[in-house]
This record gives sequence, C-alpha cells and structure tokens, in this order.
Amino acid sequence: MKNRLKLLRTEKGWTQADLGDRLGVSRQAVNALETEKHDPSLDLAYRIASLFERPVEDIFENPHG
Amino acid sequence: MLSLWKTGTAAHRRYVIRTLAFMLPYMAICIAMMTTDAFDEIMGTPSAWLLAATVSAPVIGQIWATLSLMRESDEFVRAVTAKQFIVAAGLAMAAATFWGFGETFAGAPHLPAWLIYPLFWGAFGVVSPFIRDSNA
Repeated sequence: MKNRLKLLRTEKGWTQADLGDRLGVSRQAVNALETEKHDPSLDLAYRIASLFERPVEDIFENPHG
Repeated sequence: MLSLWKTGTAAHRRYVIRTLAFMLPYMAICIAMMTTDAFDEIMGTPSAWLLAATVSAPVIGQIWATLSLMRESDEFVRAVTAKQFIVAAGLAMAAATFWGFGETFAGAPHLPAWLIYPLFWGAFGVVSPFIRDSNA
C-alpha cells in the first residue's frame, strides 16, 4: 500500500527503530510498511495516524478510491 | 539462526533459545540412533514406543516455540512467519507425497517417515530468505 510514512518519519528525524518503538512494532515492520511489503491492519494504521496526528488517508493512499 | 539472534527482536531471541532447547535433544537422539547401536536392544519392545514418543516431543515443542514467536511478535513478523511456515509445510508434504507414491508404484527405495520433520525445516530454511513480505 502506497504511503508517506518514510517522509513523515524523516521529517521528525526518527530512525525506523525509533518509529517502531513508538508504535510498538519491530524495525522490520516499519521497513516493510515503508517499502510496501506489508499492508497495515486497521489498528496499526490508526496508531500511525494518531502518532503523526493526521487522518489515515493523509498517510496511506486509498487503493479503492 | 545466528543472523536472527543478531538482527531480530527480543521475541526472535527467545525463539532461538527455545529452538535450541528443543532441537538439540531431538538431534542428539537422531544422531545416536543413526551412528550407534544404543537403541538396538529395545527394537520390537514396548520401550521402542517410548523412544518414538520421546523423539517426537521436541517436535511438538518446536511448534509451540514457533507459535510463541508469532504471539510475541508484531503483525508483520506474525504474517511473514505464517507464510514461511505454510510454504515450507506445503513443500515438505508435496515431497513426502511424491516419494510415497514413488515407493508404492515406481519402486522407489523406502525412506523412513520421520524424515518429514528435518525435510520441513530444511524447506523452511530454503524458502525463508525469499519470503520477506506479508502480501499474499
């Protein structure tokens, strides 16, 4: 799923491990999200949106709309 | 296994410890069976069933270790591990089916059924580096 996660993360000056710690997931999971190798669950997508204080649609491209 | 220890999460390191705890006794029994006559005297006795149960117990333990890894990991690791497990199990079952029919109908030499377990983990090791995404 296309997303702006890497851009948002680097804007904050966080490493993948930093973001993983904040989200409660592994660095590998963050890397997989950024490289579109993992589509997040609804729960994780909302956690990411909450962390960056943006709507989910601002971070993840809706593949159906 | 070493790279999993170095680059993996805390759950991965617990998985490595549990795997070693289950695989070492399993391998010790298998190697003793293949290289010594330590178990020859129990052949054909009820104790042989005890040996069979003893060597299969670590197999169940290893499945528990894998499920624990999935339970203690995030959704990405969980999904990738499940995918690797399914592909490896499928390949091992396909190989066992192929050889079983080969034995029955094509005169292939008999192989012991317990080889399915090392075959499965061999398949797991081979496919894992190629399964790195959670998408189907």
